[in-house]
Amino acid sequence: MKKSFRQSMAWLHTWAGLLLGWLLVAIFITGTSAYFREEITLWMQPELHDSTLQPDTVDKALAALNAKAPDARSWDISLPGPRHTAAELRWQPAKQPENEGRRRGEQMLMDADSGEIVSPRATRGGNFLYRFHFELYGIDRLWARLLVCLATLFMLIAIISGVITHKKIFKDFFTFRPGKGQRSWLDAHNATAVLALPYHFMITYSGLLLFMTLIMPWGIDAAYQGDRRAFFSEVFSRGEDAARPGAPEAMVAIGPLIEQTETRFGKPVTRIQISNPNRDNAQITLRVNRDPAVTDRQRGGDPTQVFLGNTGELIDTHIPANDPVSPGWRIYNFFTSVHMARFADPLTRWLFFLFGVAGCAMTITGMLLWVSKRTQQLRRDQQPDRALKMVNGLNMASITGLMLAIAAYFLANRLLPVTLEARESREIQVFFLAWLVSLVHGLLRPHRQGWVEQVGAATVLWFAVPIINMLTTESHLFSALAWQHPAIASFDLVCLILAGLGGYTLWRLQRKPVPAKPRRARPPRAANTSTTGQTPAGETQ
Amino acid sequence: MTPLSITSRTLAAALGGYGLGALSAMALAVTLPVARDQAVIIGIMLSFLLCSGAAIWAFSARSAWYAWAGILAPCLLLGGLYLWGRPA
Amino acid sequence: MTMALSLFLALALAYAGLTSLSLAMKRHHDQVMGRKLQPERVRYYRWPGWLLLGGSLLVTLTVWPLGLALFMAVGLVAVAGLPLVFLLPYRARLAGQLAVALPVLAVLCWSTVPLAVGGW
Repeated sequence: MKKSFRQSMAWLHTWAGLLLGWLLVAIFITGTSAYFREEITLWMQPELHDSTLQPDTVDKALAALNAKAPDARSWDISLPGPRHTAAELRWQPAKQPENEGRRRGEQMLMDADSGEIVSPRATRGGNFLYRFHFELYGIDRLWARLLVCLATLFMLIAIISGVITHKKIFKDFFTFRPGKGQRSWLDAHNATAVLALPYHFMITYSGLLLFMTLIMPWGIDAAYQGDRRAFFSEVFSRGEDAARPGAPEAMVAIGPLIEQTETRFGKPVTRIQISNPNRDNAQITLRVNRDPAVTDRQRGGDPTQVFLGNTGELIDTHIPANDPVSPGWRIYNFFTSVHMARFADPLTRWLFFLFGVAGCAMTITGMLLWVSKRTQQLRRDQQPDRALKMVNGLNMASITGLMLAIAAYFLANRLLPVTLEARESREIQVFFLAWLVSLVHGLLRPHRQGWVEQVGAATVLWFAVPIINMLTTESHLFSALAWQHPAIASFDLVCLILAGLGGYTLWRLQRKPVPAKPRRARPPRAANTSTTGQTPAGETQ
Repeated sequence: MTPLSITSRTLAAALGGYGLGALSAMALAVTLPVARDQAVIIGIMLSFLLCSGAAIWAFSARSAWYAWAGILAPCLLLGGLYLWGRPA
Repeated sequence: MTMALSLFLALALAYAGLTSLSLAMKRHHDQVMGRKLQPERVRYYRWPGWLLLGGSLLVTLTVWPLGLALFMAVGLVAVAGLPLVFLLPYRARLAGQLAVALPVLAVLCWSTVPLAVGGW
């Protein structure tokens, strides 16, 4: 190869980036939203909002389970916390359908105040976006995951080649030169990429690690002679199945046990699991939330105490944070738990969300840069060719289109009749319909006007979300209820911020000539560039 | 770069890179002197880095032939290591 | 609450550190200070910059264990750096002033903690 190392890396970065860039934009946007997937689900089920943990919530939950499934194999109660307001009651029915791979339990939601069983509107909530993040939708799960893994691997390659490509990584560290078309996009892409580089690397690499058994099982096969089960049971042991149910026997009152556990750990009990309830071999497991900063242990590692159900005798106290973990697994656990941020308290979660936004900005500016660079290379009398138009249209669909579709999804949640048949699928259909419309629109109107229209539509939709919410629910920004659970009010605020950003973009688009217009002799824009104007607009890379 | 060179390099990056990663995961899983579950996870964690390193190499090597050679040689080495350390 | 304050302090220190580092560069020194950077004065900006970033890391170490603290510290650098990058071309002076104001404000906030929680 005659070209220099850096040039070939630039080539690799450009094409590896473009090939899976649209998918990466979607993965980043939905993944960023997934940090708040439980909060999104909460917002999408307003029937549950007026529910707060009370001293007698546990008793009511036990009564509800006793009424519904007194002879279940196990009960599992999640008490309300900052991320969900209702008590979640799950149980494993006594009679299990045989020969099914995974045993599926039953679930119901209980109002924590009244103890009534509530059935909120059917929705996939934040889980739809979360699932889309790593297995897309509507195509075979295995292939979708492989495709996402491929995009992730491309991203890792793009990160490495991007660092090599970047000529003046330290000299340009703080540089952003606005109003210069391609140069500005390059600066913005560099800034969002370089400043958040450790995050980008971590999120990409850990994304691969999360799918290691899917894409890199050969080491397991080698060491365990093909017996993957042996590996899983050695590493991810999920605890034994409950023993056979014993003879019926009443359980002790749970109140004193909860008190005992809360005194021991100095934290409120958040989850109660009872195996073989109402039997003489019942076991009551009480969990408190783990230390929010413990990232190098496996998930589900909450401190627990286990009691005998019939006598209330304490038989085990377990603090997983003190368990020995080997160094290799500590690294693995660190990467994967930082990727999912399940450990994070609300404040840390917001920081992760911001990191995610930086990731979105990095992929988005990269895609826009691709188009901007090629538009700027056109001669004055030259029209963009079909390929460039198509890339621009696909950019539009993947960026503004997805944002628009998500807003439409939230609006559908509020506007579709609560009792509609197959409601949760309808919401998702609205999402894809909006996305499809934006794709068609983007391909038909691939120019500046197309961007203006799509950003305008997205702005209107995001602004409409809190407004429609106000008209259709009791928990909106002007209600005490929404502020009682900050997650709910924050959702509306984020919608308003997104609408504001959309409005600002729109204003900029209206005010500024297209940065990526055919080059012509134009006096430099004095107002914006007076401080930095040194480089002529065309000179890059 | 000629289209042929690009195709060849892309194949080297994709197939060779993945093969290199897989072989490294296998070789490390059976030869690292630690508990086998740890050997497996360390092998996997390194394999992804090797995959992307191989892709970078495939596009930076002087010619497509060099690209293939630079990936296949360590593959052979790791394959040998695996055969040597393989549990009986 | 103290965690929010610690984070604010860490963020303010990271921002100040980055601004100081940018002041050690010709282009940004011109932007913010409105005068040329004397080459021999570079170290007056570079060293404090790194020290402030180190301070930011120290603060995150009080909040999180080592691994997570390192990760969050570099994350905070990104969160602090992006506004700086986009302020520099538009409001360079403000960018400089914030680098002084934010840490002062953060320290002031910290000094109210004993009042709020009744001493440590």
